[in-house]
Amino acid sequence: MTLEEKLKILADSAKYDASCSSSGSKRINSGGIGNASYSGICHSFASDGRCISLLKILLTNCCIFDCKYCINRKTNNVKRAIFTPEEICTITMNFYRRNYIEGLFLSSGIIKSPDYTMELLIKTIKMLRYKYHFHGYIHCKAIPGASEHLLKELGSLVDRLSANIELPTENGLKLLAPNKEENKVTKIMSYVKENRKSSFAPAGQSTQMIIGATKETDLDIMNKSEKLYKSYDLKRVFYSSYIPVNKDKLLPSLTTPPLIREHRLYEADWLLRFYGFKTSDLLDEENPNFNILMDPKANWALRHLDEFPKEINQVSYYDLLKVPGIGIKSAKRIIACRKNFKITFEDLKKMGVVIKRAKYFISCNNKYFMNREYFKKSFIEANLILEDNVKIENKKEQLSLFS
Amino acid sequence: MNIYLYDGTFKSLLDLINKLIELKIKPLDIKDKENFKPNILDNMIELELDMEFDISKIKVSKNIMKTIYYVYLSSDEHKELIIYYFLLNALKYQDKIFTMRNLKCVNSALKLAKRVSNECHKLKGFVRFKEINNHVLYAEIAPDSDVLELLSYHFAKRLANEYWLIKDVKRNMYSIYNTQKYYIVSGKNINLKDIEIKEEEKEVENLWMTFFKTIGIEARKNKRCQMNFMPKKYWKYIIEMEDAYEKGNNR
Ligand code: SF4
Repeated sequence: MTLEEKLKILADSAKYDASCSSSGSKRINSGGIGNASYSGICHSFASDGRCISLLKILLTNCCIFDCKYCINRKTNNVKRAIFTPEEICTITMNFYRRNYIEGLFLSSGIIKSPDYTMELLIKTIKMLRYKYHFHGYIHCKAIPGASEHLLKELGSLVDRLSANIELPTENGLKLLAPNKEENKVTKIMSYVKENRKSSFAPAGQSTQMIIGATKETDLDIMNKSEKLYKSYDLKRVFYSSYIPVNKDKLLPSLTTPPLIREHRLYEADWLLRFYGFKTSDLLDEENPNFNILMDPKANWALRHLDEFPKEINQVSYYDLLKVPGIGIKSAKRIIACRKNFKITFEDLKKMGVVIKRAKYFISCNNKYFMNREYFKKSFIEANLILEDNVKIENKKEQLSLFS
Repeated sequence: MNIYLYDGTFKSLLDLINKLIELKIKPLDIKDKENFKPNILDNMIELELDMEFDISKIKVSKNIMKTIYYVYLSSDEHKELIIYYFLLNALKYQDKIFTMRNLKCVNSALKLAKRVSNECHKLKGFVRFKEINNHVLYAEIAPDSDVLELLSYHFAKRLANEYWLIKDVKRNMYSIYNTQKYYIVSGKNINLKDIEIKEEEKEVENLWMTFFKTIGIEARKNKRCQMNFMPKKYWKYIIEMEDAYEKGNNR
């Protein structure tokens, strides 16, 4: 098999992992090639619009497990390949020198045993670091069930070490990934959390959940994310729309991946991490799923209209963040600027506020943008949906145009 | 109409603006004399400028100076005047200036600085090197803003043990790095006739194309999104987009 054929197989089977992030590490170039950029760098964008930052490949797509949703599962009849450590190093170095990539994202199917697979991963990355003097970014997936001393060794070689939780509930996992146990994944997470320092996985860890392969609600998913962020100090939870690659009576028969749902989950995830929201603010047993027509923050604001309109020149940072159309940057700018002058609607544009959304929820110097009579749920909701709908229509059109 | 001229360098621009501020002169405009075509009504004035002007004479913070430098790198036709007014206010308000976006010159300066730093960040990813003779790496760029220096600083750290060359095709400027230091040189002063791209280079490029094509998920295809992140104007120099560039369309 040529190197190109191998690369094709092992990139193809790695592409369902949503993570591409190359941020969070300050690794410097100590006499060789490469360094990390703390804010991360995207080098290209694939035909699906996702950022390409790292050479995302599997060491092998051979696997002794049989996860129903996975293209590499044991019972699938697909072409299998395995890279030698030398081959991975050569490709990485060739791509990195030419600035195609920011580093390597290495994962693997489980070959022989978790420990055996981990040893291969370690061997590869050691070669890259010590023989090729590569100081660029490396994200490696740890293999659940591998011994602790191997985790220790791998963690000291890479920038990010992580494991995928795959599904939001233990039941889902039992159904679709019978060989996997959640506690083996969380064991890795605790280990990384406990040991993280500048010489051990400095960029921390992330994880991924598959969306739409099982019946869990958005509430189940967000509860899980919230718990993961709290317990393991995760940098990110990635949400990956289930792509039907296999046929199985246990799997849903989707025609298109649930991309809008995935989008809403990412929006809600931001609200948890940076905006001071809790899952219980956004969803409950009665409304366990996000509104497809409206983003979670606007949805929340409409249900709490009694807290609005918020006075731009007065309310706190976290109150500003609750306003649809105001993000972290614009909230910070408003706080800094209003010390110097009274902010008007005109000024807000310069601060990066999305006026067409924010205007319904704010006042500037006690002025509302139009007659206050219109400050009503029905009016605002209709206008917001009208606008968002246009966006969703665009997305749909895109899906049908290109798929 | 009084237009003040400088020689295009950052130092001479700051020297000029500093003098104008000291002399309490409000210029109608400030222009780079190399690239400026005056019309008959313009009255051009050249003050005596110091090529080795000491920038630290201007009493503003590092952040303010960095903002001014970034604005200078932009391609905005009024950048000099924006810098003049921004500096005038910055001397008075110091770092408070960053929160005074209600002033037009401040808003324009911060916007331009942001545009330059965004473009530089994008190019840190989009620059594509090819291996030429003697294992030297060679890349061409054609950015809107003059980010060659900023990029050189980045690659000098990253590709520290390589010899590399980056050419800004728009400005005919080269950055040349020799594993120790980089030098920015005008294309007028160098001759690179015998650049040769090696045979093996195609192999690496093919490998990259294979990866690039494979990694996109067909069921999620979204060319519009791809194009938003990777604007057409950069395609010519991005290997994986060259085909699309040559076809002149995106589908
Ligand atoms: S462990 Fe499961 S998800 Fe991972 S490669 Fe094997 S079958 Fe696929």
